[in-house]
Amino acid sequence: MEKKSVLKKITGSREALLAVILILLFVIVTIISPSFLTPKSIMDMLKNNAVTMVMALGMLCVMLVGGIDISIMSTLALSGMSIGMLWKYEHISNTFLTFVIALAIGTVCGFLVGLVISRADVPPIIATMGFMYIYRAMGYLVSNNGEWASAAALGTFKDFATSSFLGINNVVWVIIICYVIFFFFMKWTRLGRKIYAVGSNADAAQVSGINVKNIKLMVYTVMGFLGGLGGALQVSVYASAMPDMQQGGEMDVIAACVIGGVSMSGGRGTVIGALLGSLILATIARALPLVPFFDQLWLNTIKGVIILVVVMVNVVLQRIADRNALKRREM
Amino acid sequence: MNKKVISAILCGSMVLASVSPVFASDEGMTIALVGKSAGNAFFEVSAESFVAAAEAEGATVDVVYPEAATADAQIRVLDNLISQQPDAICIAANDVNALQAKLTEAMDAGIKVSSFDSAPNKDSRQVFINQTSVDLVAQALMDAVLDITGGEGQWAILSATSQAANQNAWIDAMKALMESDEKYSALELVEVAYGDDEPQKSTDQTAALLQKYPDLKVICAPTTVGIAAAAKYLQDNGSTCKLTGLGLPSEMLEYTGDDDAHSCPYFYLWDQQGLGELSAYATMALVNGDITGAEGETFTAGDLGEYTITAADDGGTEIVLGDPLEFNPENIEEMAELY
Amino acid sequence: MAGKSGRSINNVPESSVKRIIFSWEGILVLLFIAVNIFCAFFSEYYNLSSLLRQMPVYVAEVFLMIPMAYILILGEIDISVGSIVCLSSTMACIVCNTNAPFILVVLTALVVGTICGFINGFILTRFQELPPMIVTLATQIIFRGIAEIVLGSGGSISASNTEGFLLIGGKVGQIPYILFLVLILLIIFAVILGKGTFGRRVYAIGTNRLTAYYSGIHVQKIRLLIYTAMGTFSGLCALFLLSTSYGANTTTGNGYEMDAIAMAVFGGILSTGGKGNLAGGAISAFIIVCLRVGLGQRNIHPQVILLILGVLLIGAVALPNIIKQVQRSVKK
Repeated sequence: MEKKSVLKKITGSREALLAVILILLFVIVTIISPSFLTPKSIMDMLKNNAVTMVMALGMLCVMLVGGIDISIMSTLALSGMSIGMLWKYEHISNTFLTFVIALAIGTVCGFLVGLVISRADVPPIIATMGFMYIYRAMGYLVSNNGEWASAAALGTFKDFATSSFLGINNVVWVIIICYVIFFFFMKWTRLGRKIYAVGSNADAAQVSGINVKNIKLMVYTVMGFLGGLGGALQVSVYASAMPDMQQGGEMDVIAACVIGGVSMSGGRGTVIGALLGSLILATIARALPLVPFFDQLWLNTIKGVIILVVVMVNVVLQRIADRNALKRREM
Repeated sequence: MNKKVISAILCGSMVLASVSPVFASDEGMTIALVGKSAGNAFFEVSAESFVAAAEAEGATVDVVYPEAATADAQIRVLDNLISQQPDAICIAANDVNALQAKLTEAMDAGIKVSSFDSAPNKDSRQVFINQTSVDLVAQALMDAVLDITGGEGQWAILSATSQAANQNAWIDAMKALMESDEKYSALELVEVAYGDDEPQKSTDQTAALLQKYPDLKVICAPTTVGIAAAAKYLQDNGSTCKLTGLGLPSEMLEYTGDDDAHSCPYFYLWDQQGLGELSAYATMALVNGDITGAEGETFTAGDLGEYTITAADDGGTEIVLGDPLEFNPENIEEMAELY
Repeated sequence: MAGKSGRSINNVPESSVKRIIFSWEGILVLLFIAVNIFCAFFSEYYNLSSLLRQMPVYVAEVFLMIPMAYILILGEIDISVGSIVCLSSTMACIVCNTNAPFILVVLTALVVGTICGFINGFILTRFQELPPMIVTLATQIIFRGIAEIVLGSGGSISASNTEGFLLIGGKVGQIPYILFLVLILLIIFAVILGKGTFGRRVYAIGTNRLTAYYSGIHVQKIRLLIYTAMGTFSGLCALFLLSTSYGANTTTGNGYEMDAIAMAVFGGILSTGGKGNLAGGAISAFIIVCLRVGLGQRNIHPQVILLILGVLLIGAVALPNIIKQVQRSVKK
């Protein structure tokens, strides 16, 4: 009886299923390359995927209200390039201030996107596609038409990503803090629940006194804020700012969310899901080069197939779970 | 209402138009320099010296960028240029084959076509200005690997994409060199990894190399983004594995040094400024009729001296700039100021 | 209301002349004229013959816009088309290099495209819960990945036998064949969408899929058909691209999906489904083509062109909405 209920729990929850997939991945990779499962290796993996992981949280909020944002990597490039150039020409030399500036730029970018979507009723994919071009172009303009800010130009800012606090890398701390804040925010605050309400049924939410427009404005602003944070992290982790950084990376963030069970039509998805989704993607990216029997030429194809298989398996398992639930109800 | 919409758009476009460069169409020579993509610091260095050299000779240069680093985007740029009828086009090709139709169309329209940095195939150009020959790069890199490993041990290559033509040519030449010369026999090339010129993927690949081969002594990264990402990873982790390859001095300044605190003892690149200058002179010589791009012709490239057109590996012709430059702890500070 | 553009500037005016002028399509026509006047003043090289000569590369993307309009009207999206273009042009080049007759090259491009489109459609109809965006994202990676594997370490292939491509890249006077073909296909598919039963069903699904299903429309069959057609048209696009390049590589077709979507959306087809028509899409496609040619001829920085396109895209959707809101609040 006991056993059955555990099994029920696992097949009944999307997150548990994902966790099983992730653990399976971990086991397979560890068998192939034992050094994968060391604390340092895991820390490296987290650090190298910090941008995607942090931005997945914003995308979660956006997707929860039924939207999508493909402008985020342009926001990242604009904010990252701006702080890179400020450092290069020695206008700032303070890490904290750098973060504030990057976050401010990102927030303004996100706020504008939110305004256009919530006030002018522009479909999210169109609005963010436009802003994708606009912010990326602004990133180029900021870069003085193609200058890079390299490690030497970034002074002490790049040390942020190499130093640790309590034995854990600063960048990993940023990830942890973001996830903890969002976990509480989405689950236990009124605002967080309002996001779910808007995504599940915008009309009902409106009638019940939620200002849907403001909620939409807020989620895109939050997304922009995290885009700015992503920009600062990107520049710090790789100690270089280029105007074309992370081009196309928004698809990884969206994929992380969808793999994590976030619904594209809104209303469904959790912080844990986003975490597991982005961890699965990170593990794939980290593990594929370790697998010896693939030609490197095959990497992209395999990555695509894995994404497809994961989302399809998810659907199949969900169908089984639904059927089981229905059966139980009939009994 | 619609008038407002239209006039707003028109006004906006006109403001942008007024700040755009104007292609001078008076008597002087006009050259279009086509880059691989916008926002590439690497290309800008050559472009700057190209423009300086050409303008000193009274030519007008327009530097034109494609929308993305693809051949498709360069085809559109070439279409635009054919309409404008400049005297010459000098292009860093994004693909060997896909520009053939447009470049031959340009040549048929009387536009001289030269290329530099990476060449389109032999039918689509009159001459290619090669930064340095494939063999010289391979020789320099192999000797660096031999020197840094101390003569024996495991080493790996971290390249750009698996389709990057330049990188593949260098890697193949390095492999051939290892086969042919006895002194490299104790070196073991364990893997060629591809970081796609993205910092994130290059970091993953570097980490994977270190995990798979704990005894790895040297990583050779013949690509600017790859070498910087690998240098950062190795240096941050205090790895005993060292690095060499091809990189930009300004990007590598932090990582170059002889001691254990730095991950890269020395690395190479060619004279990126000289490349721009030589390309300018060669292109102008084509327009002036001093050269036609045939093997054996010679011309004078300003301060750089006299150059001879030689046969290239692909059956076309090329002008080789010179040896790769070594960047080491002694000269890196100075060179990083330049590029 | 099927076929009506996704936007309107004004509340429907009384007279039919006014209705035409104030419809989105009417504004697009005015904009088309304005863009052409602007480009003619802006670029000294901008004239009919340079426009016709430069057009084929851009018009190849209009092939993608046609089925993309159907997909957007369904309320869905396909971001794998650029990769399908890449894979089918690669395969076509390979067949071409075996000295096969040119008809086989054409067939290869179309068949490879169709198969890719069918795979998309098959997965999407078998796993209806999956959002099209994520499935086509995965196939985007896979199709281009297969092309990478096929192309091998060179990453590039050239078509050795260019005669066939010269033929389809040919012209009647100054007008390239591709323009005729695009216009014919636009008319056919605009009529199917606007007047035919099939078109009505597409709008019905886009407006409310469940209602469409319960009213007896074979929703999944129609989706499968449209996604497959998307693949076929991508093959067609690949073929005409080859006639401008004689070669394929791993970046061929990169970003074309976004261009196709932008053309459709600017033409009044909403990504939320159920609204818009191909006439708007066609005019907007040619506005974008003319603007790109005109600005490009003066070597405007490509990022600035993209910035203008971004502003246009948002402005085209946002302005009518804002104007409507202002009017409403004034009336109150």
